[in-house]
Amino acid sequence: MKDIDVCIIGSGAGGGPVALTLAEAGYSVLVLEKGPWLTEDDFFKDELACCRRSVYTPNLKDERHVLEEYNGQNDDGSYKWRSEASSDSGSDFWNGNCVGGSSNFMSGYFYRLKPKDFHLRSEFGEIKGANVVDWPIDYAAMEPYYTKAEHVVGISGKIIPHPHQEPRSTADFPYPPTAEHAVSGLIDKACRELKMHPLPTPRAILSRPEDERSSCEYSGFCGSYGCSSGAKGSARAALLNKAIKTGNCTILPHAKVYHITSDQSGRVSAAEYYDKDGAKKSITAKIFVVACQAIETSRLLLASTGPKHPDGLANNSGQVGKNLLFSAGGSGTGEFTYTQFDTQLAEAMKQRGPFVNRGLQDWYFINDKAFGAPAKGGVIDFLFRHPNAISKANGEKWDDDGKLLWGQPLKKRLKSVFSETKYLRFEVFNDWLPTDDCFVSLDNAVKDKWGSPVAKIRLGYHDHDLKVGRYLAEKSEQVLKQMNARNIRSSVSGAPPPNLVAGGCRFGDDPATSVLNADCQAHDAENLYVTDGSFMPTGGSVPYTWTIYANAFRVADIIKKRL
Amino acid sequence: MRREITKKTLHQWDATLPAGLPERLKLRQSRRDFLKLASVVPATMLLSACGGSNSSAAQAQVAVLDQSPWQTFSAVQNHLFPKGADSPGADDINATLYLKSVLALPGIDDSDKKFIRDGVKWINDIASQMFAKPFHQLDKDNKEAVLQRIATSSAGENWLSLLLLYIFEALLTDPVYGGNTNKIGWQWLEHQPGFPGPPKDKRYYLLT
Repeated sequence: MKDIDVCIIGSGAGGGPVALTLAEAGYSVLVLEKGPWLTEDDFFKDELACCRRSVYTPNLKDERHVLEEYNGQNDDGSYKWRSEASSDSGSDFWNGNCVGGSSNFMSGYFYRLKPKDFHLRSEFGEIKGANVVDWPIDYAAMEPYYTKAEHVVGISGKIIPHPHQEPRSTADFPYPPTAEHAVSGLIDKACRELKMHPLPTPRAILSRPEDERSSCEYSGFCGSYGCSSGAKGSARAALLNKAIKTGNCTILPHAKVYHITSDQSGRVSAAEYYDKDGAKKSITAKIFVVACQAIETSRLLLASTGPKHPDGLANNSGQVGKNLLFSAGGSGTGEFTYTQFDTQLAEAMKQRGPFVNRGLQDWYFINDKAFGAPAKGGVIDFLFRHPNAISKANGEKWDDDGKLLWGQPLKKRLKSVFSETKYLRFEVFNDWLPTDDCFVSLDNAVKDKWGSPVAKIRLGYHDHDLKVGRYLAEKSEQVLKQMNARNIRSSVSGAPPPNLVAGGCRFGDDPATSVLNADCQAHDAENLYVTDGSFMPTGGSVPYTWTIYANAFRVADIIKKRL
Repeated sequence: MRREITKKTLHQWDATLPAGLPERLKLRQSRRDFLKLASVVPATMLLSACGGSNSSAAQAQVAVLDQSPWQTFSAVQNHLFPKGADSPGADDINATLYLKSVLALPGIDDSDKKFIRDGVKWINDIASQMFAKPFHQLDKDNKEAVLQRIATSSAGENWLSLLLLYIFEALLTDPVYGGNTNKIGWQWLEHQPGFPGPPKDKRYYLLT
């Protein structure tokens, strides 16, 4: 007799859809979440809480990662790697440890993948040094669940005809776009003059109230902040609250799973965890679902050895942790002085709150002789500089020669940056090619506060990522130039954005080269599923969350059928 | 939103801008410089105490300042962030008491707090060497000379940069934390804060 039907480890975008689907179907569900349970009553526009103290993420001294960064080449051409704990370097790879996970802190910038993203290898061929493969499912299998997420999570937007529009089973989004800023019209104008196709950005943010969730309040402080209104479609606000209401779903915060136990047959039998007081606990279930975000999911599986899993759970072909993905690309900025606009437009440009909501997908696939052979490209998103004031001020304390400023020169500079200048930014998202130089393993020498080995992350990238990123950044700069922005600059690098992470447990038909099958069920453990972004063999060139939501709804239906 | 790798420990604060690997490496290097410098500071203090003509006076002043670092912090903060004709200075935003609360609250590494506190001895040592007075007793020009001098070392620059960071916090964080008196910082910079702001019982250290 098992304690429950389904045990879900992790309460974010990968766990939420499974909890809701199975609880609504009448099955008993327990969600184990390492972090605390914060709600709208705890989320305020507080820059210290969100971004300057470790409130939503662990203290790095208690829970760290070991990061391996490229450090030149050996004589034989092989790469050298420098290893450093995140607690020493300050490079924080946690994204939100609380009920709902990092989906609480996203900006809700949501795009679907496109049909070709499901078979990039067949479409564009091999790229030397990259492990690009086709997915075992196609877009048609995911489409109904992208649509489901639009309704259940609450995605706002507007479909306009576009050369790269992916097929849809419904005509438009269930929620109209969120309110838009005056600058959106200026971006549209510039893009059209350049014969580009500006697109309204879909957002996982409610533009009108739904159930117990309020509409967006347009505070202008969204990404990195927990949502005070419930409008943001976090797994907590949109899914778990509903799951709890069924009476079939229990959420246990402060429950840190450190080992998943498997029996002689290789099946998973129990999840072992520490409770809030550090006491060891255990839970049995028919089905186990792991969704701790890519890095921690791989770490947990690698740590969960068993009689049939000597190298870690579901790792009999050594694939767990391999082909970790981030999002390649970079960002750029252009500046406007309010005095360059007439009074009315200047006032409108100063407004804080409405979204910029503009993106470009004209180079989602690049077909340009100047670039080379046809290739996968990516998307460009326009946004304002993050409104955080302390970090903005702190960025101004160095002069152009890198010398520290203080006194009146510093104050003059602050005044100008805050009250005379508007910064329009763009971000480029392109595929982070899977390679043998980007993966998760265990560091047996470095432990977390519970004594478990931490995840070691090798952060290599493929040079092709930079080539694509620079191509897109150049296109983005053209738009800013057309808008008469000043001081236009951009930066494309191989530095991984820690909040855009996937892969590590790729799904596929061949157990020798993948961890999961097409159902996201472990090849080696038939009652184990992985439903966060780990399953993705290639990342696509958009933020992952919508695809994680959609896939988790898809897998939840598969689990429901077998229960 | 692409989140850049965040830097939450002392030697990485400054890497948030300008971005890029070379900058990060430079700042890592500066942390090492600080460690080296920190180990020689007691020796310098000893030298100045024994060798200078004002040795006993300097020694006594340093001892007093050890017990009362706040007048030094206040003097440094007001020099770094002086009051202007139409702009607030460090005193107007309650910067010194704000820093005191930062050093008392959780959320900042103990090693960072120690570095901030240790800097007081260090800056007064330099002030004594240069002008035979503790920092807070110097006139504006001599204060500037001391700060320029310590800014030539990576560690000194790091320390000043940290003090500036907490001045910015006092200037721009929600008044519930004790700085930004009557929202004077937001008003001066025409900054529109987000809403709702944190009430007293939901300050960051009370959340989890």
